[in-house]
Order: sequence, then structure tokens, then C-alpha cells
Amino acid sequence: MTTKGKHALSLNIVAQCSKSKARACLMTLPHAQVDTPVFMPVGTQGTLKGLVPDQLRELDCKIMLGNTYHLGHRPGPELLEKAGGLHKFMSWDRALLTDSGGFQMVSLLELAQITEEGVKFKSPHNGTEMLLTPEKSIEIQNSIGADIIMQLDDVVHSSIEGERLEEAMYRTIRWLDRCLAAHQRPTEQCLFPIVQGGLNAELRKKCAHELIKRDVGGYAIGGLSGGEAKEDFWKMVKLSTDLLPEDKPRYLMGVGFAVDLVVCVALGCDMFDCVFPTRTARFGCALVKTGQLNLKNASFAADFKPVDAECPCSCCKNYTRAYLHVLANTETAACNILTVHNVAYQLRLMRTMRQSIIEDKFPDFVQGFFDDMFPSGQFPDWAVDALASVNIHLR
Amino acid sequence: MKFSVEKVVGGGRLGTILPSGPHGSTALETPMCTLYTRGGSAPHLGVDMLKRVSNVPDIAAMSLGSLAPHHENIRDFGKGIGEFAALKSSLIFTTLHDASAAVTSGKNDRNGVAVWGKGGKFKMDPSLFVKVQEALRPDWFQALSDGDTDKHTAKKRLAKAVNNTLDFLDGILELTKNNKILKDASLIGAIEGGFDEEERKRSAKETAARPVHGFLIEGFEKGHSGVDLFSIDSFTKLLEKTVSFLPEDKPRIMETVWSPLQIVKAFNLGIDVFSSSYPYLLTERGQALVADYTIPSSSPAARLENKGSPNGALSTTSGFYVNLKDKCYFEDFSPVLTECDCYCCATFTRSYIHHLLNTSELLAYVLLMIHNFHQYFHFFNCLRRSAREGTLEDLQASLEAQMNSKPSSET
Repeated sequence: MTTKGKHALSLNIVAQCSKSKARACLMTLPHAQVDTPVFMPVGTQGTLKGLVPDQLRELDCKIMLGNTYHLGHRPGPELLEKAGGLHKFMSWDRALLTDSGGFQMVSLLELAQITEEGVKFKSPHNGTEMLLTPEKSIEIQNSIGADIIMQLDDVVHSSIEGERLEEAMYRTIRWLDRCLAAHQRPTEQCLFPIVQGGLNAELRKKCAHELIKRDVGGYAIGGLSGGEAKEDFWKMVKLSTDLLPEDKPRYLMGVGFAVDLVVCVALGCDMFDCVFPTRTARFGCALVKTGQLNLKNASFAADFKPVDAECPCSCCKNYTRAYLHVLANTETAACNILTVHNVAYQLRLMRTMRQSIIEDKFPDFVQGFFDDMFPSGQFPDWAVDALASVNIHLR
Repeated sequence: MKFSVEKVVGGGRLGTILPSGPHGSTALETPMCTLYTRGGSAPHLGVDMLKRVSNVPDIAAMSLGSLAPHHENIRDFGKGIGEFAALKSSLIFTTLHDASAAVTSGKNDRNGVAVWGKGGKFKMDPSLFVKVQEALRPDWFQALSDGDTDKHTAKKRLAKAVNNTLDFLDGILELTKNNKILKDASLIGAIEGGFDEEERKRSAKETAARPVHGFLIEGFEKGHSGVDLFSIDSFTKLLEKTVSFLPEDKPRIMETVWSPLQIVKAFNLGIDVFSSSYPYLLTERGQALVADYTIPSSSPAARLENKGSPNGALSTTSGFYVNLKDKCYFEDFSPVLTECDCYCCATFTRSYIHHLLNTSELLAYVLLMIHNFHQYFHFFNCLRRSAREGTLEDLQASLEAQMNSKPSSET
């Protein structure tokens, strides 16, 4: 069950749900032992949105994300190398994961051009033409020094079909080989390939088959969570987890809504990231088991309950909804307070799922979760279907 | 509250304030500053982060602009603004205006005073003002006052400001007579009069004749103006005069944004309680307080070594602060201030904070607020020690030398 030595990552499967594909694992990385399933908060520019590392440690957060595109620009790989890597630069001694930078190129930059060589784009800072190749992406990620790094992939929008999609899938495989060849620190940083293929089952299968021939420490599922229909989304996730090896972690990129997390854990995914929980906090929204509370809303002006009475975070221990209503409308302190809560919510959701898997009560957990989230009993069809595909039948 | 002077140093007083009510055992040593807050919270800091700052004052100043519009909800909460804002163990001093901001002029009249929050203007007459205070349940509260004056204000308007303020005070005294909710709350009278000695004298004497527990001296500028009041010729003399008409046994408060040097000057003129809005304003500009309060102060060369970066980066350093937005800190892996033991300096580098400022990350302001508060609160410890040990002149000389060490002007 354990992959040892070779990669900067090893995985121990602690428990497996007897009905669904959900599993609880212990993932060992150079900077942390991570319990999975895990949600990884996104610290785009080398900081988790107003929180200090101590606060994350108090929340028992073991791994967070940084974005190569942003960090590559500012402060840049040279500085990060001089600083002794991103861990030291931001005083975070636990695990980090960096993306390849490709996704931001395509999503943020209208002028990005993708060729076999790499992603060509105009620098948003000085307008000069730049080229992000698989080799360059890995070089930057080697400088940043995260525990897990991602291959550069050819990202296309999930609505794209046909030749371009096929090209992107094959190119992703060719770029993986270039990334593997360029990787200078394989014993300190684990490189993940990314299953692509859009919403085309055949392409996704082909891609997964090619990837598993390579010697890597874990796999990511990419190209989803881009606004596609949920019934397509879950089928692509399941198809990917069906093909990926049991003994390696599976990282579903860009997914972080609570319902999606629960369904995709059932489908066998281990790792998730998403900017949503921290972004929504900055807009004054707190995550709770029934959805989210927009604290700027006047309905909370005289609500003297904590955001979530069962939550042990510093927000819920100290503040009422009514006070956060006052603060969220005026002060940035509210962003920081609510970010703590939303990260706590995500991590607690994952811990609760993990515990239920270990006790082999995961299907009960799923039922309870959906009952709380949809008190009317009107569960979304896609979630019902997805869960049924792994033998969890919601009542 | 009960104020006692232990020692007079020059014109300044080393004293102790014993609050009334449930916080009666919390002795406040003066000279002191209050904790500056916005919307009832320390700027940028939730309570779990505020815990990481040492020497946090036991009393928080909360301005009404952002809170008064919510007074009915706070009343229904029933335990006062301190507990509402998660600062339960803190004493609360409600002031009218945010110390860090200018006040929109021309909205006060004999019927009431306007305060300003995110939602705009909130105008209070004495009766609404008392309702707000009953909801907030402060330990100290500044009386409603018309401080909308500065050195350009004509004498007629100054007289009106003094009259309005005295009328408001009388109204409040009448309304709070036998008031159970506010029985332990100490009323702070406001002294007005702009730059007119006669009006200052009248305001001070008349206010002192009423049963107030302390004095807040204002009306020299319309809220925070960015002007160094000490650079106005008549200010020092006028403040000295004003103070001379106030009784010895009550604390004198000023909410002005003041650097350590200006605080020493004002202390020497007899002011006891100050705002901590100065470190907040530095934070907003990406600046870190690095003034040296040791006596004798470190040699200039030693300070340079302590503060300077490898590439000799002191270009944007005034004597008291460094501007961490400056490019020269890009590769500077030393702490903001080597000898500082705050959470920020113990954990992060100038290079990292420069990066956070450069990318407009919230954490930049969290970390600078921690450092600047830490240094400012530490300064008040040093000021008290210096006054006690008789080295105040040395402290002032050292601060003056530091300020003049660089051409850029101080706030």
C-alpha cells in the first residue's frame, strides 16, 4: 500500500468506505503528514488572505497552496531562492503545493497563445512578450520549493470540444514528459501530472492510461470546475478515479463547495483546493452547514448567536452575527475574522468526513450532510445520481 | 473614576486612574494611550490577533460614527459595546469622532452634532446621545460637543462652539441624573475655543465647574488635519493656558494623532491620556515605527546598522519610521526592527512585508498594525519610566535628534 523512498510523497490508506469509493489516508510529505481527504486553502501570493501561519496551525491546517503565476511575477523566483524558498519567505513550516501557472495564463490573460513550445503571453506588468514552457514552470516551482508541484498542462475551457480538445490532451502528456525531465528536486518535491480531456470520456480515459505509465507520486484531475453541467462534472471525476491507481493520492483541482467536496470524496478523491471559502469571507459571507450567511444582510443586525454554535474557531468563540454585521460593512478586520471561520469550516468538514470513513459510517454522514444542507429534502439530481453510482442512496 | 497625581515632572504628571464600576481594580497609569479602534475592533486585528500584541492598553477608545447608527441593536444585546465587540475585558471610552479622520465641517448647530460612519451622517441631540450611551454602556464617555473649529475659525463661531458644547453638557447632566445604566460611567467634558485664549479660558472654567470626571481638549483642528499643531506658533502657549484653568485632580485627554516626540511635548504641557491613532496611520501608509527610546540613545552609527538594509536603504526613513513600500526592502531579509520583540519582527522579514504591500495583501496591514501598536505601546512604558527617572529631557532630545536625522518631514 505504501510507496516509499523514490518520491517526495508516500501514501498510507488508513480506511476505505465499505460502500463508496471514499477513503481515509495519511499522506507523508517533506514538511507535513497530511490526513486525507484534505481541503487545501489557497494562499495565492504567499499569504492566506490576512491570516498568519500561527492561525492556520491552530486550525490544524497541514497544507496550503501558492500560485506559480503570481509568485513568479512577484516577488519572482530569484528572490524566493535567495529567501530560501517560499516556506521560509512566508514563515510556513508545513506543506505547500504550487500549481503550474498555466491555468492563470489562460484564465487571466486574454492574449495568451498556446504553442507546442509553451504558453506565450504579454506580461501584465511591462507588456513584454514572455513564454512559459514546461521547463520554465518547473524551474520556477523548484525555486518556490513546494512539497507538491504540478505539471504545466494545456488548459482549455470545459465547453471546448473536437480537435482542439484532443490536441490539448495529447500536448498535456508531451508536456508532462518535459516537466519530468526538467524536474531538479524529485526527492524534495513531488510532481503531479494532470488528467485532462475535457468532458470527453474517451479522451479522459486515454489521458489517464498514458499518465499511469509514468512514474509519479500522485495524480490531479484537471479541466473541470469551469462552469460545466454538474452531471458532466461528476461523471468525468468518477471516470478518472476509476482509472487512477489506488495507492496514489488523487487531487481534484479547483473544487471546494461543500456539496461538491462530499460527493467527490465519495467518488474517491483525496485532495481539493478552491478560492471560494476565503474569497466569500472577504465579501462578508460565512459558511455553515445549511449553506452560507451573508452577514452584511440586515437580517443579522440583531442576531446575537455566533456564526455556528458548534464551531470551535476564534470567530465563533468570540463574535456574534450582529457584531460581524456591523464590522463586515465597514472594516477589513471582518475579512480576517470570517476567513478564519471559513477555513475552519472547510477543514472541519474534511475531518468529519475522514472520521466517518474510519468508523465506516460515511454513508450516514453523507445523508446527514444533505439533510442539513437541503432541509426540504430536494437534493440536486446530479448529486443523487453521483452518490448512487458509488452505492450511497440518499433517502 | 478617580485620578491621583503621584509626581509632577516639569508640566507633566505621573498619575493613576482608578475606574469606577466593574473594572475598578484596573489601575491605569498615566501618561497613557487608549487602544484605537474602528467599528469597535482594533484596526485589521480580530481578538485572536490582538492577543499577540503586548502592552495593549486596558481601555479602548470607540468613536460613535460607526457604532451609533446600530445603537438599538446594541441596546437589545444588553451587555454594552465592550462585550458586543468582543472586548469584554477592556474598559470602553466612547468618543464622538474617529481620531484618524477629518470631520466634515458645517453640520453642527445648537440642536446637535453630526458624527460620520460608513452609512453617512448621524446627528445627535443630547437626548439621542444619552440613548446611544445607554445602549453602549461605556466606562468613560465624551460629552456631545461642537469641536468643528480650527485656527481659521472666527471668534463669533468659537463663542458659539463653546456655548453649544456647554449647553449639550448641561443637557446630558440633566438627562443622566439618577440614570441607573450610566451610574458608573464617567462623563468627560470637552474643552473648545479654537485658537482664542478668552474662549479657551471660558470653556475650561465653565466645564470644570460642572461635575465631569475628566476633560477632552479639542477644537484645534477639524478632526485629524495632518497639521503638526506644535508648528503653529500660538498652540503651545494656548494649550498651556487652557490646562492652567483645569483642576489638578482630573485627567486631561487629547485625541490628536501624535508621534512619540509630539506626545512628549504634550505630556510636558500637562496632557495625560492620548489616542493610538498614530500607529494606525503609519500602517495605512505601509510605514513601520522604528524610533529609539533608549536613554542614552544608541549612537547614530549603531542605529544605522540596526535599521539599515544591505544596500544602505534609509532613503525613505524619517527619524521615526521606515517606508516598507520602498523598493530598497525587496531583498532585505532582516526583521522590521532588529531589537523589537513583537510577533511581526520575531516571525517575518522586511522583504516579505514589502512583497505583501506590493501585492496589496491584507496581511501587510495586519503585520504592520501589530508592530506599530507594539512599538507605540512600548513607547508609553518608556515615557513613564523616563518621567519617573528624570530623563525626560534626554528622551525629548534623542527623539528630536532622530527626527532631524532625515530630511523627510514627520507627520
